[in-house]
Amino acid sequence: MPFGVKLRVRGDFACFTRPEMKVERVSYDVLTPSAARGILEAVHWKPAITWVVDRIHVLKPIQFMSIRRNEVASKVPVAKVKQAMKAGHVTDLYTRADQDRQQRAATLLRDVDYIIEAHFEMTDRAGPDDNPAKHMDIFNRRAAAGQCFQQPCFGSREFPASFELWTGPVPAHSLPTEQADKDLGWMLLDMDHHGDPGGHRCDDRCVPLFFRAQLLGGVLRVPDRQSGEVRS
Amino acid sequence: MTILAALNRHYDRLLAEGAAPPFGFSTEGIGFCLVLNRDGTLSRPPDDLRGTDKKRPPTPMPVPASFKRPGVTPRAFFLWDNTKFVLGLGKDKASGGIAAYPAHLAAFREKHEAALGQSNDPGLQALLCFLRSWNPDSFSDQGWDTDILDQNIIFALDEDYPGQFLHERPTAQEIWRRELAATASDKQMCLVTGEQAPAARLHPAIKGVWGAQSSGASLVSFNLDAFTSYAKEQGGNAPVSEAASFGYGTALNALLAKGSDNRVQVGDASVAFWADASGIAAAREAEALAGAALAPRFADEDDDIPTDAQEARKVRDALEKLAKGMPVERASVTVDPGTRFYILGLAPNAARLSVRFWQETTLGNFASALRWHWSDLRLDPPAWKGEPRLQALLYQTAVQDKAENIPPLLGGELMRAVLNPNCRYPRTLLSAVLQRIRADGDIRPARAAIVKAWLARDARIAAPEKHETPEKEELYVSLDREETNPAYRLGRLFAVLESIQYRALGSVNASIRDRYFGAASATPSAVFPLLLRGSNHHLSVLRKKPETKRLAGWFEGQVGEIMDGLATTLPRHFGLEDQGRFVVGYYHQRSERSSKTAEEAGHQGQED
Repeated sequence: MPFGVKLRVRGDFACFTRPEMKVERVSYDVLTPSAARGILEAVHWKPAITWVVDRIHVLKPIQFMSIRRNEVASKVPVAKVKQAMKAGHVTDLYTRADQDRQQRAATLLRDVDYIIEAHFEMTDRAGPDDNPAKHMDIFNRRAAAGQCFQQPCFGSREFPASFELWTGPVPAHSLPTEQADKDLGWMLLDMDHHGDPGGHRCDDRCVPLFFRAQLLGGVLRVPDRQSGEVRS
Repeated sequence: MTILAALNRHYDRLLAEGAAPPFGFSTEGIGFCLVLNRDGTLSRPPDDLRGTDKKRPPTPMPVPASFKRPGVTPRAFFLWDNTKFVLGLGKDKASGGIAAYPAHLAAFREKHEAALGQSNDPGLQALLCFLRSWNPDSFSDQGWDTDILDQNIIFALDEDYPGQFLHERPTAQEIWRRELAATASDKQMCLVTGEQAPAARLHPAIKGVWGAQSSGASLVSFNLDAFTSYAKEQGGNAPVSEAASFGYGTALNALLAKGSDNRVQVGDASVAFWADASGIAAAREAEALAGAALAPRFADEDDDIPTDAQEARKVRDALEKLAKGMPVERASVTVDPGTRFYILGLAPNAARLSVRFWQETTLGNFASALRWHWSDLRLDPPAWKGEPRLQALLYQTAVQDKAENIPPLLGGELMRAVLNPNCRYPRTLLSAVLQRIRADGDIRPARAAIVKAWLARDARIAAPEKHETPEKEELYVSLDREETNPAYRLGRLFAVLESIQYRALGSVNASIRDRYFGAASATPSAVFPLLLRGSNHHLSVLRKKPETKRLAGWFEGQVGEIMDGLATTLPRHFGLEDQGRFVVGYYHQRSERSSKTAEEAGHQGQED
């Protein structure tokens, strides 16, 4: 992989919500590829490139804890947003969190530490000025300086992730034996936005892609999107 | 393995065992059977299928699966239902009389006309004839017992009965399978099996979780639009096939059912556990072992049921042997310590169920985790006669010792710590127990044991090399005269001062413990000078009486010995852990005192 990067990410809490338990949230056991991609994109992303996560190294034991939080019960209706756009003012566009409250429990991860191994590919939106070396340099410079477009997070904005560019060898994991090799079940790889890998246009035709996640020696290998391991 | 996948595997086991109904069927409590002639007339009065004991429980049997019936439009089940649907009659809650439900009856008729109209099976035709001719108004003329109202009803054909019910006829099953296939939605990838299959729109209701609605709550549900994404509806947000959702629901309902051996209550979490062994018998035995270990001894707070205690002891001995790595043959259990084992804690939250914890482990690990837990709790003199169940620990945190006052979330967190010996007990456990001690001034053995367990585990995790096996674990088990921790020493001192006061003044309205325990354990420098001054008065009272003169001398020696190990300035403030050490020190010193009477101690003091 000529343009591979390693990013070490750490945090106190993380919640990579499983789709089947997303109301009373239960986290996946480890960082998911799509969450890892989000972290990379927070550091550097342009339409010209698309990030592909290759491997995720899990360095600390998997620990869970439960909390309860107040969240809202409803979404802002699209019609109201359109109405506001037409009217040119937002007086009617609001939700009252205190009157629309839902208490939800979450089982989330504590004290996480991962190394993301990833590379990027150029998309067809790359212009004549874009070349891999340039984006590689930008990423390395930004990651080393701790710069990001928005604070990267572990699945939810309340759980910020700190990151550092990792150039050395991957340190040994401290997982107990029963966690180092583990079947994690079907994990979300990413959303398929109508076959556009770099796409961000979300609608009801988007299809989730899943793969069979396995921890082997503390490493989660992420299959290629096009490979037969991925199902939708 | 994920929760749903493990439950689904368990279902396959139950199915193979014949303990669970196949896909499309569910086990329901049935009260009565209507036995029909071929022309749809009743051949006899309704046959009562209920149990014979006082409560007359309905008989559980597999019938075409029920489903949730939200909203107001009545929707009937297939070939069985309650009397509102079958007879159009139910009990009126307000008056206790009979109420008519014409819309329900019509729904039942309509459904069966549509489903059975094409069939020429004599049994199914008999049912149609019965439905066409049934008139709810004639109920009182039949002379039936009104017990039948609101019970579930099934049907049978007279010539087959007893032996076969209508829904068991091959034609009926064929029609039911066709109905199931017809209602299936688009195929999606199933998150449990990975296969392409029709996704369940609504997931099964899980019954038997303590505190949840009795009609059941959902583990997977999307009941508000903030929970959905990509314009997907209901189950589409979490594609799980109909068969898999049926499987996990059936398995979980069986585990959580009333009287099941596979459940325990820990705080607000209902805990289901099951083993996954190749041999069914081995798994059953593993489950029995774990059940007895999680909820040893008593069924409620009653302390003395000898048979249970003996039983628990046997189980614990077996588990201990297992935990020590003894060969399976010698452990007197036929269970392989490598047997995979699952523990799932569920608690209700607003018509949904939330997962409090989920642990996948082996029986060997489980046994060793319990051994650590029990050794952490070990206290001398012991707080319990055997090993306490987890609920007994949680009661110590509850206001007025009521189960509903156990702080929420604590049960799950405690369970998580019990199952993982490298995880600290929840800090809220320590703070809740200390708070109870401050509030009601009752330093019970059980409370001291919890505080001790918290401290012992905390110390072990902080310095793992010193504490390799539970046997070496000696921290704070019994009175430690060498311990120089100021909080522990001050706890001991407080116990001695209380004892001096008691010997001098007898029982007083408000002893120094009633007045000062909380303050002494939190802000010692503000309280102890006052207490020591007071104790000088008490000692002088003792000295003045000839019979307690020597005792006074012995007490002085005790105070001196404890004070020797303390710095000259007392700490201003104790944090939570130190308050815990204070409690443990107090408990140790006080039980030391009660183990020998003060008189004997006085004599000993003289001889020393």
